[in-house]
Amino acid sequence: MTRSTAIKVSNLTHTVTSNTGDLTILKGINMEIKESESVAIVGASGSGKSTLLGLLAGLDVNTSGDIFLYDQAFSSQTEEQRALARGQYVGFVFQSFHLLPSLQAIENVMLPAELKGDKSARQKAELLLDKVGLSHRLTHYPNQLSGGEQQRVAIARAFASNPKILFADEPTGNLDEENGQLIIKLLFELNQSEGTTLVMVTHDNELAKMCDRQLVMSAGQLTERTL
Amino acid sequence: MNFTFRLMLRDIRSGDLLTLLFALIISVSTVTSIGLFIDRLQLSFEQESANLLAADRLVRSDDTIAKDWEDKASELTLKTAQRTSFTTMLFAGDSLQLSQISAVTNSYPLKGTFLVDDELFGVGRKSTSSPEKGNIWVSSRLASLLNIQLGDKVEVGDATLTVSKYLVRDPGSSSSAFAISPRAVMSMDDLESTHVIIPGSRVRYSLLLAGDKDALQAYQNWLEPQLNEGQRWQTPTQRGERIGDTIGRAESFLLLAGTLAVVMSGVAMALASARFVKRHLMQVAILKTLGATPPLLRRIFFQQLFALFVVGAGLGLAIGWGLQEVIASLLSGLMSTALPEPSFARLWLGAATGLISMLVFCLPLMSHLIKISPLSVLQPNAKVELNSLFIYLVGFVGMYALMCVYTKGFLLPSIMTAAIAGIALLVAAIGWLAFKLGRSLTSGATSGWQIGLAALYRRLIPNLFQLLVFTLIIMLGLILIGIKSSLISDWQQQLPEDAPNHYLFNVQADQVDAINDQTAQLGVKRSDWYPMVRGRVTAVNDESVQFLYPEERGEPELYERELNLTWSDNLGKGNELVEGDFSAEGLSVEQKAAKEANLSIGDELTINIGGNIVTLPITSIRTVDWGSMQPNFYLILPKSALENYPANFVSSLFIGGDDAQPFYKAMSSFPTVSILNVGDVLKQIQTIIGQLSQAIQLVLLCILSAGALVLLASVRSTLEERLEEGALLRVLGARSALVRQALLVEFGALGIFSGLIAAIGAESCLYGLQVFVFNAQASFHPLLWLIGPVIGVFVISTIGVFASRTVLKVPPMHLLRDL
Repeated sequence: MTRSTAIKVSNLTHTVTSNTGDLTILKGINMEIKESESVAIVGASGSGKSTLLGLLAGLDVNTSGDIFLYDQAFSSQTEEQRALARGQYVGFVFQSFHLLPSLQAIENVMLPAELKGDKSARQKAELLLDKVGLSHRLTHYPNQLSGGEQQRVAIARAFASNPKILFADEPTGNLDEENGQLIIKLLFELNQSEGTTLVMVTHDNELAKMCDRQLVMSAGQLTERTL
Repeated sequence: MNFTFRLMLRDIRSGDLLTLLFALIISVSTVTSIGLFIDRLQLSFEQESANLLAADRLVRSDDTIAKDWEDKASELTLKTAQRTSFTTMLFAGDSLQLSQISAVTNSYPLKGTFLVDDELFGVGRKSTSSPEKGNIWVSSRLASLLNIQLGDKVEVGDATLTVSKYLVRDPGSSSSAFAISPRAVMSMDDLESTHVIIPGSRVRYSLLLAGDKDALQAYQNWLEPQLNEGQRWQTPTQRGERIGDTIGRAESFLLLAGTLAVVMSGVAMALASARFVKRHLMQVAILKTLGATPPLLRRIFFQQLFALFVVGAGLGLAIGWGLQEVIASLLSGLMSTALPEPSFARLWLGAATGLISMLVFCLPLMSHLIKISPLSVLQPNAKVELNSLFIYLVGFVGMYALMCVYTKGFLLPSIMTAAIAGIALLVAAIGWLAFKLGRSLTSGATSGWQIGLAALYRRLIPNLFQLLVFTLIIMLGLILIGIKSSLISDWQQQLPEDAPNHYLFNVQADQVDAINDQTAQLGVKRSDWYPMVRGRVTAVNDESVQFLYPEERGEPELYERELNLTWSDNLGKGNELVEGDFSAEGLSVEQKAAKEANLSIGDELTINIGGNIVTLPITSIRTVDWGSMQPNFYLILPKSALENYPANFVSSLFIGGDDAQPFYKAMSSFPTVSILNVGDVLKQIQTIIGQLSQAIQLVLLCILSAGALVLLASVRSTLEERLEEGALLRVLGARSALVRQALLVEFGALGIFSGLIAAIGAESCLYGLQVFVFNAQASFHPLLWLIGPVIGVFVISTIGVFASRTVLKVPPMHLLRDL
């Protein structure tokens, strides 16, 4: 069975202006990621992994080249169109969790569905928190949860919008090994059961090995690591 | 429930939105309450000035109204009425009271109505008729002072009248809303039998006219050329221009205080908005990654701000309405008239303040918030570019606009902006020096003192800002305390213990010896007798006063009214010669009056005394201590100029508590003599000032709340930093007592400095007020230097420690996790 293309990148270049002059972070990147594939982007600190992830998710606009998400050209879209596309296709898991501190766990998970005006946001959120093993922590605030628990809430939130693509930025970077393992297990389980495409930036080689493909970022260029 | 409001309710739980809401409520309620109250005072004044004349036009005269004036009015089919007003003693049994009495004809009032009641202190019902012959209407205050009720008899001079109604409002009453002398109205038919009016009595005769405009104009054209110096043609607006000084000053103070409250709440709103934005930057970035579009975010924040405005302004207006009712009821005892209800239409001022505050302090910050890049979630350093200059500029212009809307002018806002800028510079200089000194005196972090004092310098800008806010509030409070207790008591303190507290007026030459006998028998200390002859200055160096000052306004006091003239061989007590020779055959003029009229030695004044003209040069200028309670005069003439005119005499005496009853009893055999109890007047002035300051204190409380909110908002803006420090200190082994001590030292020091700088400011302002406004001797107020710092330490420490209580309460682990 041929899988359709989730993400296509051609000739992607990104330059930022700093006080020392222009700095090209990404230099002519080309790649394709198929639907339900899991891809790890690895590389040294400052190699441009997170920048690439941000551009793929439409959080920033690239300098030149094209990015397509399900055949939609991200690079030529307005901020509003990109936000709509994010709401439709994309879920996020961050290294520092990024839960809203003023919201309870359940309210954090409800957010994406609420933004879409989904009336069943609460039921969905309860179900997801149950899946990540936090049905007893629904009304806790982020600062009342451990790091591992916060990241599980973040994963539940990421899957709340039924994303086709999940972007994860160092999802275990702030966790101890035990919690890290738990999160990885959860991510891959949900990835498989929901048929989601997973794009993950990580330093962790073990974690990278669990993915279908590994892409190595080095000096602004991307190469495929053969397994 | 809509997503926007669910998000908003969740935000309220976190407290950021609540600070914003409180700032809005305080701002709206303060502006509303003060605005409505001032409006009620002004409405009352407008209503009064419409009814003030009790007629369309009025002719006022120092002499009786000529018969042909009335005939001419009838000829022009104008309606007429007459009123004769004078001040005299009213007797009821053993009680007596100086009262302002109007005797009126049957047709009075031509315009407006009396308000009368059968109940003491009732609100009154309208009555267009006047008291019948044999009856008198007395104000509730007069009735209670004399301890009389309806049906009782009172004596006015030689006449005995029956109290038939309580007078709530006399449409023609000439004084402002705050009347000192209690009043009564009687029938003109009884006036003659009182024998109160004798040559030289201070009596004001009025002919009231009503009718159509053309007839009134024709009458004016006919009458005006005939009017002499003691006669005036009056229209309602002319009367309306005389606002009572007390109300005027109270209004200014309220306005000033209210403007400061507006500024404070504006600052609190700006701070609360800034913190709201800071705390929501990441939230907006996350919402963006979750698919929230900029228009959706704009809608969410706009709806939130709108809901905040509706709730805040609604609550603020309701609280403001309630507050002004409290202020009005505090002052109700002082009002000689019932205050009109405030108009709902005036509520716009509070609502507009709320709206402008939201627009200038919240909207620019919120619109920046929406611009944050979603990339911030991956790169926390990607900050939103805040165009601070633009935001400050919008805030400043908005604040200035608010002040202008509030004070309905540019002058006060400009003065206040300049004054606040001046005080800010002083605060910045003193604060910077003191904080730096505090920092250099302490090093290390072993005690709360060291940490607290070091924190003052480290958070220099927020601390200087808090210092300024509290200095301003405490200063205003201290000035109020100073005005209330000091200026009045200063005046009393400067008087000797046995300074005269009673004046005797309207004493005829043949009564002088008899009264001397009575006072000697009672052992009452009395000043010299001064003869008094009424006269009016008509020309200066042969130029007519009417020509020099064609408009009625702006006339020096010396020319404005009929004066009491006297002669004396020597300078009286409390008089001091400044220039010239007092014994020379000429006029001696009081220095301030001479300065106001631009007169100097050698100028010639022409004075009309009972129709005879006297012209004399000024030969001396003297100062007068008006507070000495001795009879004092603007003009002293040579004996030769006055001795041939019928004079009545004036003297002042001191009557101790025990002497009062026998003295009043003895004086009841001289019913035509007027006794003015200055002690009572002083007490009444103190009551008025006391009650007015209660109203002002209420406003001050509003400002203090606004200031507390500023402190709260400003402490919250440094909360993250404090939490981090507190957590680190505790992780490193510091007990929470040390952290508490450090907080107390930091806020306590802020309090002491605020109090001290406020005391410096207040003392300077009071000096200015005493010397330039109240013409009193400057005095030092040691109490202020104590109250200022004590209040400062207490209030700022309480609020500051309350606002940063999480630093003490939450376990350090939680804090570290939260950061």
